[in-house]
Amino acid sequence: MTRQERTAWWLTGPVLAIVAGVFLLPVLLALALSVTDYSIYAFASRANVQFVGLGNFIGLLRTPLFWRALANTALFAVLGVPMAIGLSLAAALLLHDKTVRWKPLWRVALFAPYVTSVVATAVVWRFLLNTRYGLINYALTAVGLPTVDWLGNPHASIPAILLFVTWKIFGYNMIVFTAALAAVPQDLMEAARLDGASRWGRFRHVTLPAIGPTLLLASVMSVAGFLQIFAEPYVMTLGGPAQSTVTVLYFMFDEGFKWWNLGQASAVALILFVLILAVTNVQTWLGRRNQWL
Amino acid sequence: MLATACSSHTAHKALRFWATSYEGDYAPHLMTSFTARTGIDVEVQSLPSTAAHEKMLTAFAGREMPDVFVLPSGWIAEFSLIGAVAPLPSPRLVSDVIPAALAMARLHGRNYGVPWSAAPQVQFYRRDLLATIGLDTPPLDWESWRRMGRDLKRKRPDDFVVLTLLNWPDMLFTLLYQSGAVLLRDRDTRGNFRTPEAEQAFAFYASLFAEGLAPRALSTEVQDGFAAFAQGRYAVWPSWPSLLLDLHRRRAELPAERWGVARLPGPRGPGPTAMIASNLCVSTQTDQPDAAWALVRHLASPASELRFQSLIGNLPARASVWTAPQLNQPVLRPFAEQMRQPAITPKIIEWERVQVEVQLVAERMVRGLLTIPQALATIDGRIDQILAKRRSLVEAGRIA
Repeated sequence: MTRQERTAWWLTGPVLAIVAGVFLLPVLLALALSVTDYSIYAFASRANVQFVGLGNFIGLLRTPLFWRALANTALFAVLGVPMAIGLSLAAALLLHDKTVRWKPLWRVALFAPYVTSVVATAVVWRFLLNTRYGLINYALTAVGLPTVDWLGNPHASIPAILLFVTWKIFGYNMIVFTAALAAVPQDLMEAARLDGASRWGRFRHVTLPAIGPTLLLASVMSVAGFLQIFAEPYVMTLGGPAQSTVTVLYFMFDEGFKWWNLGQASAVALILFVLILAVTNVQTWLGRRNQWL
Repeated sequence: MLATACSSHTAHKALRFWATSYEGDYAPHLMTSFTARTGIDVEVQSLPSTAAHEKMLTAFAGREMPDVFVLPSGWIAEFSLIGAVAPLPSPRLVSDVIPAALAMARLHGRNYGVPWSAAPQVQFYRRDLLATIGLDTPPLDWESWRRMGRDLKRKRPDDFVVLTLLNWPDMLFTLLYQSGAVLLRDRDTRGNFRTPEAEQAFAFYASLFAEGLAPRALSTEVQDGFAAFAQGRYAVWPSWPSLLLDLHRRRAELPAERWGVARLPGPRGPGPTAMIASNLCVSTQTDQPDAAWALVRHLASPASELRFQSLIGNLPARASVWTAPQLNQPVLRPFAEQMRQPAITPKIIEWERVQVEVQLVAERMVRGLLTIPQALATIDGRIDQILAKRRSLVEAGRIA
């Protein structure tokens, strides 16, 4: 080992040790837990823990609520990702326009929800979404639309939570897109305009390729975020009505920390990990094909 | 001075005490006299009741249990099985406790906590609203009670009658206990909901929602139940003694002459209802058990019980305290009667979860996603799944 290598190990060693201790080791232990029936009985006696192989996974596949949680999570991601990214891109494009004044003020105002506490804002949104006294239903009646039982109707609960989540998180991607838009080559844009390209044509063929990598990054992060959605339903609906907002992570929390079935909960965590990995792989493959990576 | 300060600290480090809701919020008022008498400081932490179960389990796993904590009787089986609760050092601690409360904290012939307060479920009702249909008090059998509901609904079609929410299991379980249903079978290892009694209770429960007497809503949608009760959105609220404190605090919204308390109706007159007894427990992880038991003795003393009763409306679990004049109020009579007839719940560690899961299925039934027979079959299947581990341990003879 050269002196340089030794120094490198000295510098990275502590960090690697910490990563191994607080990240790798727990992950391996969780993997080990997922093939046992570790439950609250394990506190009474270690002898009550047994190796069950794939038992937890088979048990999960036979649990209707797990399937419902998967479907709910998929719905959150399928509706939420385009909604969140679309809105942040639209906001970024608007803010990028030369005619917009007070840009810093708008940026701060739209970014502010992102840095507020989930619980506090969720409580406020619960008031906004209240069926009888809520501001949103008040606005709907004002324009002659029927009111919606946002958090009480199993079909409206996911859209209601998505409204809140989108409002809360779109500011972050908006800032990222604002930065990416600033890097779009202006001479190319000018040339396209001189050649008579329409507004849509310039967006499709100049802006979009330039911000492609950023778009990919935003979508990877958003998908991973939406697949792990938990705090919002936990605070706003407790998974209800009729378990329509129980997500995979919520299911895992209940199994693991409420009922202490850590074996089962670890199995859920593993499945979620594999799912996120698979979706991210598909996204990177798409990104490569479009030469965004 | 520094020396004395140090020595008093080394003699006793502060005891940690956890309780939920009002009991936790107001417990510091009981600690001042304890600290003055013994010199032991007590750090009180109030836990929200919705998160108390997981918080205590996590604390036990992390060896962070407080020295003394309050457990509802339904959790005694669970926490004693995992070895979190120390058995009582002397039976004298519970010598004059109300038998029903004592039985709930007893397991395999041993007592695991000193019953502190007993909270039977009763109904609070609006005198003024009942008067509009010519009633002084709510009827005490299911059929007439439901007729009262229909009459009220006809008078006030935009309002509901009963405040019971779709994620509160207590109402449904009270109906089940009253119908005489035996909810588990095979030494409490399998669900037993496909019985005529359970079906009767479920049918009655479902009819409350189908007829618009109760709202199809979760607790997350009703931000202020008390305000709704005060505004007359509901005429009847099946609830607990803790509501007495709200009624006292917010008497400007709902004056005392407009409400009353009665026992809940049963199929043919009042019967057993759900009861939550809180028990003072000492952790097995405590390193100062003597001080911890001294604190339990102080909190369970007649003086503390009476103080707490006047502060938050808690009903003492000590029989001798009930002779005190402050407990001789007409409003407390239904509680005292109901306390003698609590529902006996299975003492298995999964009971808390069973109740939650039964209520989840009941919610789907109320929302029209399942019929009653489908709901009962689903519940039995779900309970069998939850109790699988218990079944295997019972069959192997590892637990009783």
